[in-house]
Amino acid sequence: MALLSTVLALRRDPRILKVPPYLSLLCILGGIAWLLVLPLNEYSRSTYVSENALLPGQVHTYFTGSEHNIFRAYRHEVASQVEKSPQERNNHLGDILRSNNLRVATQNYEYHASGRNISNQNVYAVLQGPRADATEAIVLIAAWNNMAGEINHSGVALVLTLARYFKRWSLWSKDIIFLISGDSTSGPQAWVDAYHDSHSPDNVESLSIKSGALQGAVAVDYPAGPWGHRYDKLHIVYDGVNGQLPNLDLFNTAVNIASGQMGIGCTLQRMWKHDDKYQDRLTTMLRGMISQGLGHASGPHSSFIPYHVDAITLQTVGDGWHDEMSLGRTVESLFRSLNNLLEHFHQSFFFYLLMQANRFVSIGTYLPSAMVIAVNFSITSIALWVASGRSTSMPKLASPSKSPKDKKENPPTTVVRRNGDISIVPTAAIEITERPLFLPLAFVLSTHFLGLLPLYIFNNTPKPSLFLAYSLAMSMTSVLPFLTAALLHILRGPTEQETTLIQCFSLLFLGMFLAALATLNFSLSFLVGIAASPLSFVRGLYPAPKGEVEGFATRNRGAISVVGSLLLAALNPVIVIKVATLYWGIDVVDILVKAAEGWHVWGLWTQVVVWLAWWPAWFAGSVVMWSGLFT
Amino acid sequence: MLSFLALLLFNAFIASASASSDYSEHLLLRPLPQKALLASFNFRSNESSTAFEQQNFRYFPRSLGQILQHAGTKELHLRFSLGRWDAENWGQRPWNGAREGGTGVELWAWVEAQNEEEAFARWLTLTNALSGLFCASLNFIDATKTIRPVMSFPPEGDHQNPSQLHLLHGTLPHEVVCTENLTPFLKLLPCKGKAGISSLLDGHKLFDASWQTMAVDVRPVCEEDGECTLETEQTVDMVLDIDRSKRPRDNPIPRPLPIEEIECDTSKGYSAQDTCYPIHKTSEPAFSLSGIYGRSLKGACPLTDESSENSYTVCINTPPERIIHVNTTGQYAESTSENHAMRCYKLPVGADFDLVLPEQQMTTRLVLAQPPLYAARHINGHGQEHGSVQAVITNPSSTDAVEFVYLESLPWFMKPYIHTLQARVNSSPENPIRETYYRPAVDRQRGTHLELRMVIPAASTLTLTYDFEKAILRYTEYPPDANRGFDAAPAIIRLISPESLDKKGIYLRTTSLLLPLPTPDFSMPYNVIILTSTVIALGFGNIFNLLVRRFVGADEVQGMGPGGLKGIIRGKVERLKARFLTKKKTA
Repeated sequence: MALLSTVLALRRDPRILKVPPYLSLLCILGGIAWLLVLPLNEYSRSTYVSENALLPGQVHTYFTGSEHNIFRAYRHEVASQVEKSPQERNNHLGDILRSNNLRVATQNYEYHASGRNISNQNVYAVLQGPRADATEAIVLIAAWNNMAGEINHSGVALVLTLARYFKRWSLWSKDIIFLISGDSTSGPQAWVDAYHDSHSPDNVESLSIKSGALQGAVAVDYPAGPWGHRYDKLHIVYDGVNGQLPNLDLFNTAVNIASGQMGIGCTLQRMWKHDDKYQDRLTTMLRGMISQGLGHASGPHSSFIPYHVDAITLQTVGDGWHDEMSLGRTVESLFRSLNNLLEHFHQSFFFYLLMQANRFVSIGTYLPSAMVIAVNFSITSIALWVASGRSTSMPKLASPSKSPKDKKENPPTTVVRRNGDISIVPTAAIEITERPLFLPLAFVLSTHFLGLLPLYIFNNTPKPSLFLAYSLAMSMTSVLPFLTAALLHILRGPTEQETTLIQCFSLLFLGMFLAALATLNFSLSFLVGIAASPLSFVRGLYPAPKGEVEGFATRNRGAISVVGSLLLAALNPVIVIKVATLYWGIDVVDILVKAAEGWHVWGLWTQVVVWLAWWPAWFAGSVVMWSGLFT
Repeated sequence: MLSFLALLLFNAFIASASASSDYSEHLLLRPLPQKALLASFNFRSNESSTAFEQQNFRYFPRSLGQILQHAGTKELHLRFSLGRWDAENWGQRPWNGAREGGTGVELWAWVEAQNEEEAFARWLTLTNALSGLFCASLNFIDATKTIRPVMSFPPEGDHQNPSQLHLLHGTLPHEVVCTENLTPFLKLLPCKGKAGISSLLDGHKLFDASWQTMAVDVRPVCEEDGECTLETEQTVDMVLDIDRSKRPRDNPIPRPLPIEEIECDTSKGYSAQDTCYPIHKTSEPAFSLSGIYGRSLKGACPLTDESSENSYTVCINTPPERIIHVNTTGQYAESTSENHAMRCYKLPVGADFDLVLPEQQMTTRLVLAQPPLYAARHINGHGQEHGSVQAVITNPSSTDAVEFVYLESLPWFMKPYIHTLQARVNSSPENPIRETYYRPAVDRQRGTHLELRMVIPAASTLTLTYDFEKAILRYTEYPPDANRGFDAAPAIIRLISPESLDKKGIYLRTTSLLLPLPTPDFSMPYNVIILTSTVIALGFGNIFNLLVRRFVGADEVQGMGPGGLKGIIRGKVERLKARFLTKKKTA
């Protein structure tokens, strides 16, 4: 009991409010440090295949010999279709598939985003598994154009050859669908949407042939032309839309087969050189996190993952000695493993960070880092709530000791009697302070609704005007906090308490949102959390209450507000994105075009997080900072 | 171009001939497009009703007969099926679909009983007995998997007291049909796979087929003079992939052929030593009976009637120009139908018989009958909570409307919303549903039973959709492979018009569905149990300790000296001291 009463007594202690900023800082630093130790051997684990049914690399592969001659012929056939229209091309590819006794169909799609017209045609063929009963299917994809826009000559030819080869086997217990999509992102998306009948018939044609529930998908990206090109490594791309990931078992199976059975090195996240040192592991992990955080489609496989279809892309990179047949055998072995699956992928992890082809950390290990960063906002928010309820006329404990000779008039006191005990306490300590909630709540809510405006504009502006829109947004959002603070001052002149509450609610929302987001898209939550972390230390500076000594901050509050606001302006999401594009040398318009395509085609949610959570929090923080200038 | 009429004649010919003799068997071979071969085995035996009731079994298998008598079953239909019939390439189904079942096992029977309870009790007896007989999990057909169809299955036989007959129907869509089901099936035959066409049936080849179905049908057939016979029909239909079936059993791996054996298209500009565009062969592939079945036909079954037309057991339906060599050492006879599209052979007794068809470039092709309907069914949507079923049924005929009954038997954990049931025909705004019979599911007791009578106008497509909700099962109700999903039985379509020529009816079935249900992480309960046990052990242990123990200061305990060796020695000394002191006192 004694302990409890001490804690309750401490609640009133003014010193308690001095702790949260340090706690917040500790949380932020702790979160970053947590992430930095993950690549160490002690915190990461070696990958392992969890699903016993997969048996990766346990089968002999027979995709050799005369299949190579046929592959070369198909590659020439593919090359002959380069100049043709999608319809003519797919007729020809469909004929090749049809000659192997497969059921072939095409699908047209047409999307509109940023004033662009994305239209093309998919062609696909269904191999009805001799042991299958149309309940399950696996997909082999080759996009006509890969992510870099090159024509996927060898990839498409490999799919055609494998279709011919797979047809001869009688062991398939699942249907196999061979999909040659018109492009790498929208085509597979149109196809998989239509497969689950969740497409809009205006944009996407329905599928005329379907099979069972999709169990897995593998995409092949091998753009070597008609005369071939020997590659060095397989680059396994696994990021899905919105940062969703395929089951780790699928990735592990691919790595196990490629490196264990075929002797092909595997790499990920464009780490062409990886010597398994701390720095390389960290770089891989960070690249993976940025890719996951952006949530964009990273290959033809990405669109499948939101439908709970585990998918990866095998991309050939470098100059080496591996040829198309070894890639074909890898795919063959991978499909034999998928064919073994009795249940849908579920054994292994869906949330993980990879730092090398055979090293990972699972969600239990990495999640605390984003959570701790999200918690820092909640801590500050609670501290601000407590501070806003505290009477401003509370005497400071430190002041008498500092200047004992300085005779001040005593604060008003009250005599409290309870159970026969009498005590004299400052009146301010038992005063009930009301919190006016209307202005802070209205402000925070309207700020969040204001985010809808840029969200709408950027998703619906045609490409030529996007740069203008972005520049406007950049300048507008930079000036807007100052104007809003000035306007608030003129109209209402919010009290210190109200300003504190604005910041409190804004941080409360940000903290809760990021904590929830961390369970869905860890990387996005972490990145936004880091970029928004200075907001925890933003306070509206007001003159000290009457009779108090003005500290350094209160005395120079105008200057500090201006400097702080200008520093904060650099953390404006719009500026941060601009700086990031400059750093990576990408045109910001390209990003916006991709984002708009993501919004309309892939169902991308990243811009919602940016405009409806991150930007409002920054805006509220900036307004609070500027308001110090007007007090 | 040859007509398909020959086959219809053939079917009629079997039907007319069957009544006269007691046992007959037939094998129909028909090469299909895309290097497929339809092989349709049919075994038929008759037993007079009086002999059957006196348990005087001749051709009728005793094991099956006694089960039927014990369970009061008057008419029985049992199906084992695998794979899919590709109606677009292969045309109309054999027997108009009346001798096939949905994927897995399907059973329906007319049971004689006074009331529904008795009928169901007899049904359970029947399923359990058949389960043992056919080595299939038929005993898992319980109340949740049993329905009582109203419009879909009229009786095939002639029954004396139809008012006391109850139709019960059950399916097991996830039952994998395999060799252990074939062996008991063959044992029911009089020649038991030792002679006759059944000697071709080999589990390895049968279950490597692209599509196969085994059927057992028992029905009473009554003449007009009131004399009844019990007819047993056993049917095996399969579509073999000729290339795959020809592979020898000791080398089944489809290795790439040596390049010399592949015909390359040399007209392509890039054609070279190492580049080969394979020519798509249009010729009919070569095959022989012994080649594709891996065993030879051991001559006729001696129990078949040798004199009648029925003795022409093996028939092959090909254009007349197709060359067929007969390979046998015994006596055989050949007969051809009027338009030569059907060649039938009378098998020699006691000598192997083989048909050999060489590879041949054909100028004429067999015209396959168009199926009256095409049907496909899929699950749409994704996620753990809702989904929708979409059935697309197409009428290819340009002149005739088709009326049919659509039967859906859903497991109880798939809960359809009937208000979302929509049927649209693309050619007319009229509602195609004429009649609905719906019996809703009761959780854990019975499944949904939905029958719809619908009409599709000529050359139209009907789309039937309904939404459903996925129930959450209890922890113990999940099967071991819970993450695979749950199978929903195929929908059954029975055609009402155009009417069938015989009593068997015209049927087709869709494929089964795989329904993913929300599945818990099954290792989680164990983690939770272990964690909570640890917490309780720590927390409870400490508090219990605090509550039941009395803590006292060491100095408060009387006679509590130091422990250990020192204590023991001191104790001994004290005891000795006490003894001596008392001795001194007494002395």
